[in-house]
Amino acid sequence: MNAPESFEPFLLLDGDKKITITKDTKVPNAAHFVVNKEDHTLGNLLRAQLLRDPQVIFSGYKVPHPLEHKFVLRVQTTPDYSPQEAFTNAITDLISEVSLLEERFKAAVRDKQEGIE
Amino acid sequence: MLLLRMHYGVILLAEVATMAIEKSSFTITPLLSKMRCWLTGLFELKVKCIKNKNAPKNATDPDELFIHSKVTTDHLKWVPMGNQARKYGPQDIRPVHNDILIAKLRPGQELDLKMHTVKGIGKDHAKFSPVATASYRLLPEITITKPCEEELADKLAECFSEGVIRVEKNNGVKRAVVANSRRDTCSREIFRHDDLKNRVKLSRIRDHFIFSVESTGALSSDVLVCESIKVLLGKCRHFLSELDSHCVDT
Repeated sequence: MNAPESFEPFLLLDGDKKITITKDTKVPNAAHFVVNKEDHTLGNLLRAQLLRDPQVIFSGYKVPHPLEHKFVLRVQTTPDYSPQEAFTNAITDLISEVSLLEERFKAAVRDKQEGIE
Repeated sequence: MLLLRMHYGVILLAEVATMAIEKSSFTITPLLSKMRCWLTGLFELKVKCIKNKNAPKNATDPDELFIHSKVTTDHLKWVPMGNQARKYGPQDIRPVHNDILIAKLRPGQELDLKMHTVKGIGKDHAKFSPVATASYRLLPEITITKPCEEELADKLAECFSEGVIRVEKNNGVKRAVVANSRRDTCSREIFRHDDLKNRVKLSRIRDHFIFSVESTGALSSDVLVCESIKVLLGKCRHFLSELDSHCVDT
């Protein structure tokens, strides 16, 4: 009866923004990224990738409420770097890493299939 | 690669898209009241069951007595809409198998259905998910800390699955060595034996993941892994373009 719509976890409604960035007012070089319609899958992945960056001082994420499909990622960086840059770099690195995985996987599958035939 | 571990599992299960029937309008002469359409393919289905006049006198098999007594996915006819006929052939849009039984009919009964299929993702409804099970485990690691020789070596090999421990013979002495720890089922049988349990260390390699992906049949499992990688890449690219067009709210 009052069940949430099945598309709610992934359909971005008109007027909703995928990412909103708010600067932290208390700490310099820190920002909150609110990402809509994503969950731990991406939140955890981005957090871990950001932590690999030596210029990132803090990175953590939370899902504020299990029925609200969004996560908040907080990033703090060193003074000569901005959280947005860190975020962009993290995603770029992630893309190259995943592309590498795809390539290697495809090569491995090809090797396997050639081995069978 | 450590980062990627479980994320593939989730994306695989939840976000790789396939087609499934969303709505069906149907008229059934006295038959099932249950909706049976979600497990088949798409499109139009019109079948009428009649008596087979050429059936032998003593026949009892419904397949011989009647024509069209079994309705299978083979009876589904794809109706292209708009420019679909130019884009796809009948080989592109079809049920995964042609012999899935939908219903059994008797003379006088008929099925007349129209089915609307949509492309969706498993997060919406499990019917869209092309993945049956996807899981991962870490590679088991077996270290023999104190050498096991002679009958102990055989006993050690018995404790593990076949092929995990190999018993080698060197200068007339039998000695156990780890051959393939991947075949271990992590039964931990070894710890029930007091004479063996302090000779072996069991652990996992924390950055070696073994994925197991089972397909429902729509796409082969190696394609599924590639598709899930594409989904993840698509998300990353979307984020990048989103960030480019972004101004900071202060």
